[in-house]
Amino acid sequence: MALLAHVDTHRGVETAFGKIIPEKEAYSYCLRTIAAFSANIFQVMRLLNDDWEDRTSQICEIANMMNCAACAGGEDELFQYLNAFYDEWNIPELVKRAAWIGGIWGDYGDEAEDMAGRVIQFTENRVEKELDSCPWDIVGSEMCNMTTAMFTANFDIAAGGEHGAITNDVALNMCEARGCGNPHCRVVAERLDHFNLEHQSWLDHRGQPTQPVHDTPPERRVKHAQGLRNGQYVQAFGEENSLEWQYNWVAQMGWVWSISFPLIAIRDMAEDDDEFERILRIVFATAGKNSFVDYFAREGLRAWLDIPREIGDNDPRVMGAYIDAVLGCQLVPHEWEAFDADGVEIRVSQEDFEGRFEMAPLEEITMGYEAQWNGACHTLVSPEWSVWIDEDEDDYLITVGRKIDDRAL
Amino acid sequence: MLFKDDEVARAEAKAVRENAGWYRWTHDLVTVSGPDAERFLDWMLVNRIAGTAEGRGKYTTMLDEKGEIIDDLVAFNRGGGLWWLSTLYGPHAVRWFDAHCEGFDVAYEDVTQEWDMYAVQGPNSAKVMDALLDGAVDGLKRFQIIEAHVGEVAVVVDRGGFTGELGYEVYCKRADSAAVAQAIEAAAAPFGAPRLTTLEVYVRSLPMEKGMALRQDYHHLTPYEANLGWSVHMDKDFFGKDALAAAHAAGERRAFVGLEIERESYEDIAQKEIIRKRGVPVGYAPAFIYGYTVDKNIGFGVVDAKKCPLGTHVTIGPNDSPAIVVEPRWV
Repeated sequence: MALLAHVDTHRGVETAFGKIIPEKEAYSYCLRTIAAFSANIFQVMRLLNDDWEDRTSQICEIANMMNCAACAGGEDELFQYLNAFYDEWNIPELVKRAAWIGGIWGDYGDEAEDMAGRVIQFTENRVEKELDSCPWDIVGSEMCNMTTAMFTANFDIAAGGEHGAITNDVALNMCEARGCGNPHCRVVAERLDHFNLEHQSWLDHRGQPTQPVHDTPPERRVKHAQGLRNGQYVQAFGEENSLEWQYNWVAQMGWVWSISFPLIAIRDMAEDDDEFERILRIVFATAGKNSFVDYFAREGLRAWLDIPREIGDNDPRVMGAYIDAVLGCQLVPHEWEAFDADGVEIRVSQEDFEGRFEMAPLEEITMGYEAQWNGACHTLVSPEWSVWIDEDEDDYLITVGRKIDDRAL
Repeated sequence: MLFKDDEVARAEAKAVRENAGWYRWTHDLVTVSGPDAERFLDWMLVNRIAGTAEGRGKYTTMLDEKGEIIDDLVAFNRGGGLWWLSTLYGPHAVRWFDAHCEGFDVAYEDVTQEWDMYAVQGPNSAKVMDALLDGAVDGLKRFQIIEAHVGEVAVVVDRGGFTGELGYEVYCKRADSAAVAQAIEAAAAPFGAPRLTTLEVYVRSLPMEKGMALRQDYHHLTPYEANLGWSVHMDKDFFGKDALAAAHAAGERRAFVGLEIERESYEDIAQKEIIRKRGVPVGYAPAFIYGYTVDKNIGFGVVDAKKCPLGTHVTIGPNDSPAIVVEPRWV
């Protein structure tokens, strides 16, 4: 198709060398980078707490509480919040809204995050959702449990016997999880009263549902969500989200649920902030070093960013172009201060860099990426070059420069 | 999503096709009143609303400036200058009226939270209704609306529905909803008419087999493209008329068609999945479902009118599911 026909609508991220990363590819990459950051944070958690049950319970509880807090307030406020949601998503009265809202809430989030799949069943008493892909499948089993705690919050908020009342009357099980090795993720919600079930604890949400599930055969599965394959997400009652809307949404909310929420509990697992930050830097530095140990990874990056051969392997612009691409795909505005063989400087406002979701800024993003990019620089470029992040009034200055550090990580 | 081997869904569909079934079917409900109510609705809607007899209703669409469908609804003349609009988009309708009511002495309100509604559908639905109400429903015409009683409870009843079968809709105040549901259940029991619980059976499967679509399927088509040209009255003025007339004169670009998928199931087909002919996009599929009467995976498609006549072989979705273009009605 000639570009002329789509020049106004087909967007992309321009690399330091003028190549355009198409919007859909940038979107996918953005999701995976957030998931990778989350995976590192979960490694920090595992070092701080070696008890799977204990740490999983802790992040489940905090994720549930934070998801509930998203619409906290009195009964009137909750009523208004839900009505606004019903209106926005045009959930009509002919359905028992409470039965649908949890599913629709979850479905549009799943689709935006390229957790591609389908709602197998939506009835008053049972919702079954099957997902064929999940960018967060690298994070680990605690994440799979934690997401059920968030879904529980959605049902708690909306699936009560009374409109707007929180009654926790649904048993919710992620009975399969890609992050644990299953071909699908599968989440099933069943009403306690209808199926004669008991209330669950945080570690009970990986059980099997009472009713048989529908297993989509391999030839009918999908690789990407609706937005990436069709250009928009359409929910059951016809309301749509554009690809652009979804991309902007995940570039904010992906950081919230998969990093910000569990971090509240993970920070408390450390004896103090110093211990937490020491371990965080070690984990992220290691992840960075491992990113580019393979020759083909370095060559692949050069091809992806279209780095010309005139720029050699031991050139700071290779690392600078990589950081630029990460920020660009994550929809973080930034400016070049320097980009030559002597070094790279990128200016980004602290608000933009840490406040992916404005209401919940994360200083861990700065700590984590400084350590990760520094580690990556040592294998992508050479140990002669380092990455550090300085504060400059309201901005951060990300530098790729020469540094000798006798106590380098 | 419905599947061939879902015996609960199959039994519910069969009940409505061969006997009767009932379920809560509460639409959004917007009241329109005031001295200019009839004139206002005649302007906003493509069907001829002026002159609609008291106690009767009409199916119609509402268009935007481009002459494209933004809602489809039934307008009932309740008498005394009061109109009821039965729609799935009450809040949208109110916002649209806000933007276009200048010059009309009219009042409107979304009263959805005040009313519940139940549907009784199927060839034996009249028998259930006769057992339920204080009077017989035999003489009711399609979209005729009357006041009646369920025991002591005042209700409003129309002959209509969304299954393509003989059927009735029972409106009641929210406070009376449980009592009315209980009464319907009692009236239905002697006829073996079940309460339907599988939403997609009565929202999608039963209607689609009869060619009945939701607004979201028609959204942004012209009434002519949506095969609803019969409801357009070009001999009166209505909002979007000039644009619609121009589009109609130029010829319909898109066609609203039926699709039959030639595979066991349709898990990879979401709303608005892309339809391709020989690998080239020619439209999208707004909805797919399993039809238990026809025992097929069926759907609606919006396709390039010239490229996709009936009988055209196409593929749908990421796994290239083969399908054939058919009339958008199966039963």
